[in-house]
Amino acid sequence: MATAAHHAPVTDKTELPVERSDIGLIRPDRTTGLLDWLTTVDHKKIGILYGAFAMFFFLLGGVEALAIRTQLAKANNDFISAPMYNQMFTMHGTTMIFLGVMPLSAAFFNFLVPLQIGARDVAFPRLNAFSLWTFVFGAFALNVSWVFEFGHLQGWFNNYEWYGKLVYKDFAPANGWFSYAPLSGTFGQADAALHAQRFTGVGTDFWIIGIQILGVASLAASFNFIVTIFNMRAPGMTMMRLPVFTWMTLVTAFLIILAFPAITVALIELMFDRQFGANFFNPTNGGQPILWQHLFWIFGHPEVYILVLPAMGIVSEILPTFSRKALFGYPIIVFSGAVIGFLGFAVWSHHMFTTGLGPVPTAAFSLLTMAIAVPTGVKIFNWVGTIWGGQVRFTPPMVLSLGFIWMFMCGGFSGIMHSSAPADSQQQDTYFVVAHFHYVLLGGVLLGLMAGLYFWFPKIFGRMPNAAIAYVASALVIFGFNLAFGPMHYLGLTGMPRRTHTYQPGYGWEDWNFIATIGAYILGLGVFLAFANLVWTAWRGKRTETDPWDGRTLEWSLPSPVPAYNFAQTPIVATRDAWFEHKHGGARIGALADGGPEGVHMPSQSWMPLLASVGFLMIGLGLPMMSMGIPHLGWLVIAGLGVLFLGIWLWAIEGPGGYHLKTPSAKSVAPTPTASVHS
Amino acid sequence: MFLAVRRFLLTSILPLGVLTLTGCAMRRFAAACILPLGFLALTGCSKAEWVGRQSPMDPKGPLAQSQFDVFMDTVWLSLVLFVLVGGILVYAVIRFRERPGQSDTPPPEQGHGNPMIEIGLIMASVASLVIIAIPTLEAIWYMDDVPIEAKPTSKLSAWYTGKVDPKVAEDVLIVDVVGKQWWFRFEYPQLGLTQEGKRAIPNELVIPRGKAVRINLRSEDVIHSFWVPKIAGKVDMIPGRRNHMWIQGDQVGLYYGQCAEFCGDSHAYMRFRCRVVEPEEFAKWVESQRAPAAEPAANSLAATGKALFAQKTCAMCHRVGGQYDAGAFGPDLTHVASRTSLAGAWLDNRDPATQLAIDAKGNTELSAPIDPVLQRKNLADWIGSSGVLVDANGKPVHSADIKPGNRMHYYRMFNVAGLNETKVKLTQAELDAIVEYLMTLN
Repeated sequence: MATAAHHAPVTDKTELPVERSDIGLIRPDRTTGLLDWLTTVDHKKIGILYGAFAMFFFLLGGVEALAIRTQLAKANNDFISAPMYNQMFTMHGTTMIFLGVMPLSAAFFNFLVPLQIGARDVAFPRLNAFSLWTFVFGAFALNVSWVFEFGHLQGWFNNYEWYGKLVYKDFAPANGWFSYAPLSGTFGQADAALHAQRFTGVGTDFWIIGIQILGVASLAASFNFIVTIFNMRAPGMTMMRLPVFTWMTLVTAFLIILAFPAITVALIELMFDRQFGANFFNPTNGGQPILWQHLFWIFGHPEVYILVLPAMGIVSEILPTFSRKALFGYPIIVFSGAVIGFLGFAVWSHHMFTTGLGPVPTAAFSLLTMAIAVPTGVKIFNWVGTIWGGQVRFTPPMVLSLGFIWMFMCGGFSGIMHSSAPADSQQQDTYFVVAHFHYVLLGGVLLGLMAGLYFWFPKIFGRMPNAAIAYVASALVIFGFNLAFGPMHYLGLTGMPRRTHTYQPGYGWEDWNFIATIGAYILGLGVFLAFANLVWTAWRGKRTETDPWDGRTLEWSLPSPVPAYNFAQTPIVATRDAWFEHKHGGARIGALADGGPEGVHMPSQSWMPLLASVGFLMIGLGLPMMSMGIPHLGWLVIAGLGVLFLGIWLWAIEGPGGYHLKTPSAKSVAPTPTASVHS
Repeated sequence: MFLAVRRFLLTSILPLGVLTLTGCAMRRFAAACILPLGFLALTGCSKAEWVGRQSPMDPKGPLAQSQFDVFMDTVWLSLVLFVLVGGILVYAVIRFRERPGQSDTPPPEQGHGNPMIEIGLIMASVASLVIIAIPTLEAIWYMDDVPIEAKPTSKLSAWYTGKVDPKVAEDVLIVDVVGKQWWFRFEYPQLGLTQEGKRAIPNELVIPRGKAVRINLRSEDVIHSFWVPKIAGKVDMIPGRRNHMWIQGDQVGLYYGQCAEFCGDSHAYMRFRCRVVEPEEFAKWVESQRAPAAEPAANSLAATGKALFAQKTCAMCHRVGGQYDAGAFGPDLTHVASRTSLAGAWLDNRDPATQLAIDAKGNTELSAPIDPVLQRKNLADWIGSSGVLVDANGKPVHSADIKPGNRMHYYRMFNVAGLNETKVKLTQAELDAIVEYLMTLN
């Protein structure tokens, strides 16, 4: 049994001799460079990687959005073809949800949760690395479909036999992010090769396997964070003293582990329909297309809250900091977050009001959807209550957070409008819905996440982003966003359906579509500027102090950038907002006598999570290529499964490893008032 | 475009000016907040903007009206709450902004909330939602009150004055709507206008004014959605599922409809039209549709076209009643020349300028007459697209596809090798003949 006590404590990992795992392989030990980034198990570095990949995919999704808006700038436009447009909006939605917002939230979970709860890492550091790389490879597999699409348009495959046999030559997914069967599935009787007629090409297979892999990443990460938050809190950090962001992480993680199994089942069924002639959703053979919708939306609606709750948590940290005032109604904010989580599973059929549910289910889901507005409204009331009586400082994160409240409120009100099923029967699948969810997910979530980036960037890199550029970027984003999506309310209300690649003149849609396109470009410029500012800051920004914002939670008590071991001594927390109270004469943070020359235990780096994830990459590429009909690609899938199991097996037997890092002085300090007195 | 520029200036330059003129971050934020409100004010200022061809904001039937009324309830409630909460937010942000020098002072009172205020706000939220919940429930049951065949208390009575199949209990006008990639097929089972009766109506639904109609919604491939915004909200057409709804048109006119569920490549082109006519005119229309297709004069160009219609395999999919009755896959062309549109109601057979001039008077239900020149051009473009029309050397003339993914240009047959698809090829002379033939099918 490998234990942590192989070596004496060191101040730097480079002082250690070469370390071997239980199976005799040399463990990676670099603390810098590519090797470090590939094998790291440090939650902070994993968080940064999540953030970097998410920002890249966010920009990619933005380019897809601009292609969509350019096509719609005028009536009867032919900037991109109908099939290309359908691929664009499918990949735009999928990219933004699964490769943009979710990993960006995960970046914050990774970086912040251990720091906020006074822990030195997450519960399962190697599983955390596995989540990251599985996400990266899933995202990669999904986007490789664009390479095939490009090759198809360029005629690369013209001489290949498999290409000639393809009935549908769309390579990037073109079935919408919701992938309704039977458009995404099969129809008619299967032939001898177990293939029934399909309506879409291999793009759908890329989509199915890509989302499936991303689901594995999300599930693994969620279990990790639930265990971390329940088990690794510092002494005195009771559940009702958790920072709100950590609370929202916990609720989000529970939503993921309850919602993703539904989509996993649905995706496997769809995959069986397409690959092996099963009939889950094939109406010819008695399959039920409506089953797909139920399975998808019982995942898909909680997914909305999976996207929005982390941003709400971020805003709930920023508003008190820049109002210099504790969060108004902390228990109610936490409770409403949990209620949103519960109710989120009870409103899925409001996406299906037009599917002929019958009056009783329609009424029930209508009323439940209205009900979910209450806990959401409560959050807004409490944010206003937080500002009330405070000292509001308009830093870039605060401006973005206020923008978040405002845009989210607009999105909430249009949400109330289509919670009413009769009104929704006119709005469903129109631009009104597009406007609504972009106000929630872009005006809401993106502004919240951008606020979080600008808020915690000084902590992550020890450098302060340029404020002037940040203000300009925020103004461009808020202005461009409203210009792009405000008019869509009008377009939807006057009957413009969504997911249509063009429209005719004479319906009154030309002017506002043109304006929306201008807005989209301004928005794109703003997001690019905001991200460029951050990227530049990471390397060249001005160095800043450890606590530039007068922060409230534990992470601000640490040096910037945060040392590998996070806390030199484990803190003992006496109150909510522990660091703020500590600074401003309330209860003081205590410390355990760990660390010091004895050192703190650190986990060893490992290749195995990456290796296991590579297995997923092979499956993710092999399966769609197999269904294209390229010969022998089935072996790649089988080899991928082998690599996956090999990686997990080696991971299991290599032992946890570990070493000891010395930290500054180890002195026990009692918190005042002590936790037992003031719990 | 001028209008667009003016609007753009109004919506953007004014707040932008505010944004740049005042350096203060708070004012910048306030300016950004005003934007959506300014937008509302600008669009709300003229009613003409809301009565577009396909606008549900201009209801012309009881269902669309009830949906519009419920929607406006939610709008007013939202506006009140928006002004209230938004106003308090803006007030709080301005009133409690940090004054110069304040950053060095001790922090303000660290309040942690006020249970009475919080519970009060929750109760108020619930109460305000009840206001919209009640009309919502009413409208849900109203929408669901679909007339059932032979229901004794049906709102419908013996309204139809034309000849009716006496075997069917004539209480309700029933229309079966079938969705296909990417067009609609309408069947009137009581009136003998069905697939089985060798006569179906593609893409133009005709219903009598002031009468409720039961719509049975079916799909033969993927999920589509039936939506005529001015008449009623949408209900999906799902393969393997029997959905239904009822509609009624209260004002004579031509209404625009569109598939509202993403259904593949040419989803945007899947449109249809709904004509609401007086009951007497409806009876006449039914008679005209029952009539077989007009026979072209012997030795005319149209007669050549009729022969080519079979030679070029058009008749394998398309029915021309009384002449080619085998085709069932594609739209029924028995009276194709009598329709205001082509290609899933994407190509308009009416002069666009005339129609726009009529629309501009605020009554988009009035329809311009069919323009035969345009109709002929549309037919030629549609049939000749996607490389079907070839020059003397056999090279395609127009390679672009008017409806990507549609199967009109192929004929399919099974042989030993399995499914084969072969592209139809037409020379200009052949195309002209077929178009001439179709133009006679009034």
